[in-house]
Amino acid sequence: MSSAPAINTEAGDVTWFCGLLQAGDSFYPTGSYAHSFGLEGLVHENVVRDRATLRQFIRGSALPTLRHVELPLAAHAWRALAPPDWPRVRELCVLSSALKTAREARVAAENIGRQRAELVATLREHSLAREYLLQAAAAQWPFTPSVSAALEGRILGAPLPAVLAGITYATLAALISAAMKLLRLGQNASQTLLTESLAAAPALIAEAQATAFEDIGWFNPWLDIAAARHESADSRMFIS
Amino acid sequence: MADFSGHLALRAEARADGRTVLAAQSFRAPYHVSKSYWDADACTLLVQIVNPTAGILSGDRLESDIAVGAGAALLMTTPSASRIFQMKEGTAECRQHFAVAAGGWLEVMPEPLVPHRGSHYRQVTTVAIAPGGSLFFVDQLAAGRIAHDEAWSWDRLCLEIDVRLGDELILRERLDQTGDSLHALAELAGSGPAACFANAVLITPDPDSAPAWRKVVAALHGSGLWVGVSALRRGGWSLKFVAADPMRLRDALRESRRILATQYPRLACDPRKL
Repeated sequence: MSSAPAINTEAGDVTWFCGLLQAGDSFYPTGSYAHSFGLEGLVHENVVRDRATLRQFIRGSALPTLRHVELPLAAHAWRALAPPDWPRVRELCVLSSALKTAREARVAAENIGRQRAELVATLREHSLAREYLLQAAAAQWPFTPSVSAALEGRILGAPLPAVLAGITYATLAALISAAMKLLRLGQNASQTLLTESLAAAPALIAEAQATAFEDIGWFNPWLDIAAARHESADSRMFIS
Repeated sequence: MADFSGHLALRAEARADGRTVLAAQSFRAPYHVSKSYWDADACTLLVQIVNPTAGILSGDRLESDIAVGAGAALLMTTPSASRIFQMKEGTAECRQHFAVAAGGWLEVMPEPLVPHRGSHYRQVTTVAIAPGGSLFFVDQLAAGRIAHDEAWSWDRLCLEIDVRLGDELILRERLDQTGDSLHALAELAGSGPAACFANAVLITPDPDSAPAWRKVVAALHGSGLWVGVSALRRGGWSLKFVAADPMRLRDALRESRRILATQYPRLACDPRKL
């Protein structure tokens, strides 16, 4: 039986904080830099074409997806990992996969989730990470970034809101970073947009923690269709 | 006005001669089952579910349980759109369960849901397919009463679907958005003020990883019609459609069924035959 470290709220101990900063950095090799998370498909469809439409997309789709899908999945996983409730963790992994109807989005999430979970096991050398990988391999669970982030947060001893904040930052930063390659978008404009988007984080995190398992899900058919069409696009910069 | 606790249960089974019959049926208002029709060419039994009331009203609690046995083939449809009326107080809820046995075929192709201003509706759909069973399930949603210039103005609309193949969850979708938030996405995508949606799921025992029909259906995309086809995590395909108006959506679905029927002949059964 694995046990996660207790949450460390001592003001002087910033170990978990450093760990979350490391995990949220683009330097952390989860492979997310190679994905646009459906954005490239929407650019191909001329839906997202400049800063204004990117902002609308973030407010109308990216933030709600965090609020209703990725953050609640991570919150439930964080709770299920200490002490480990493996059937529940499996259920969350399967749910995460089943919620992604576009194959490309699903495979991207599985690859990033797997890479992060394996990296956690290598870097942190904690029995919880090893046991997670064993359980996942034995029953062929789909990997998912949200559950892997919760696993890493548990091993670092980070409190749940901090783990969710890390996911929020990493998701938005990766999306806006991809947008810089797809659109005419400068550094300052990107950071302004990121700052504005992150201002929504406290409310998203509070609401996501209270989301019931049955209420996880979000609907954006245009994003799903764009992702489905991106699978067979003649040219593309990103894997997803 | 009376609240309904509607109930519908159907069990389709194959007779020894291969023909599908309703081996069991029971229903209570507002559900009514019309006389079924056996399409000998498509080898499919067509059943129309009729709601003789004007539509779904506050206080309605609707439950249905549809089962298709081995070797049976059933197409279930409705004759007209399901209007969800304004609810000054109270809510309406529909829970529907579909089960398909190995060797069975079920197509569910109802006309669209039309949520009126101030409606409050929840629909929970669960689908259980045994390995070896087949399904073509379509859900359609209109933005509202477009002809009355009323759209995106429901109070709450929550549509959920879980599809399981064997014991495994292969698809979960959940729409629980305000009209304003969905309208904003429609505007962003250029789908217009009357955008309407269809979600289709195709499950077959031997899903081809690159079927010929996929490109043909995907090629319907364009000129305001959005079409995407992608493989589910196992067992089949998700087909999604967004159209600028209900007629365009109807045409796209009809054409997609025609294309798919080249590989799945039961889809040649005409849902408007009755």
